[in-house]
Amino acid sequence: MTSTPPPASSNPPSPPARSPEERREGFEQEALVHLDALYRVALRLTANAADAEDLVQETMLRAYRSWDRYTPGTNAKGWLLTILRHLFINEYRRRSRHPETVDVDTIEPFALFQEVQEEDPQGAFFDKIVDDEVLRAVDQLPEAFREAVTLSDVEGLSYEEVAKVLDVPVGTVKSRLYRGRRLLQAKLYGYAVSMGYIKGQSTK
Amino acid sequence: MRCRECVEHLYEYLDREVTPDLEAEIRAHIQKCPPCSEHYDFETLFLKFVRVRCRAQGAPATLRRRILEQLLEE
Repeated sequence: MTSTPPPASSNPPSPPARSPEERREGFEQEALVHLDALYRVALRLTANAADAEDLVQETMLRAYRSWDRYTPGTNAKGWLLTILRHLFINEYRRRSRHPETVDVDTIEPFALFQEVQEEDPQGAFFDKIVDDEVLRAVDQLPEAFREAVTLSDVEGLSYEEVAKVLDVPVGTVKSRLYRGRRLLQAKLYGYAVSMGYIKGQSTK
Repeated sequence: MRCRECVEHLYEYLDREVTPDLEAEIRAHIQKCPPCSEHYDFETLFLKFVRVRCRAQGAPATLRRRILEQLLEE
C-alpha cells in the first residue's frame, strides 16, 4: 500500500479564506451570543460596572483578532472566558477595588441544610432574599471561590471547562466549589437571620 | 451506601460529575433515605436559586452596540 508523503513543508492546512463579512457574521453567531455571560463574569471579577464593560469590550476585540485560531463549533464560551480572565489578571486585578472578602480560615465548616433542617427544610426563606443581596454574598467570596462558583453555578460550565478556564486540576475545581458553596450558604444564612427571615439556631 | 458517603458526593452527583456506578448508588440511596432525599432537594433548590438570581442581569445594550461598532472598524 502506498501512501502519499506529506508535503515538504508541513504547515497545518490553513482554513478556507473568509470574507470580512463572513468572519464578522461567524463571530457574531458564535461569540457575541455569550456577551451576557462574559459581562456577568466580568462584573463578579471587577466589582465595578465601568471596568466590567471595558474588560468585556477588550476581550471581544482580542477574541475577534484571533478569531481565525478558533475552531468553529468548539467551546466558544470557554475560550472567551479564558481570554477575559487572563486580561483581568494582567490588566485589571491590580487596580480593581474589590470589596473586602471573607477570610476563609476564619470560617467554620458550615452546612446550611443542617442549620435550617428543623425550621425551614424546604428553603422557603430563599424567596425572601433579593437578587442584590445574593450578588453581594457572591462578591464577598474570596476570588478563587468566587470564580469557581460563578463559572459553574451561574454560567453552567462543567468541572472540566472550569478547570480549563482557571488552569487548575479538576480536583481543585471540585474543592473550591464545595467550599465556595458552603461559604455562600453561610453568608446567606447570616443575612436571612439578621433580616428575621429565619430564626436560626440560638446557640450564639 | 451510607448517608455520610451520600452527602460527601452530593454536589458531584447534583453537578452530574460522578461515574455511572456511583450515580446509580447515590440515586438508590436517596430514594430510600428520607433525610438524604430532603437534603438533596434542598441543595437542588439552593443551586437553582444561585443560578437564577445571579443570571437576572445581562450586558447593557450600549455595550453590545459599542462592540458591534468596534468590529466594523476592524
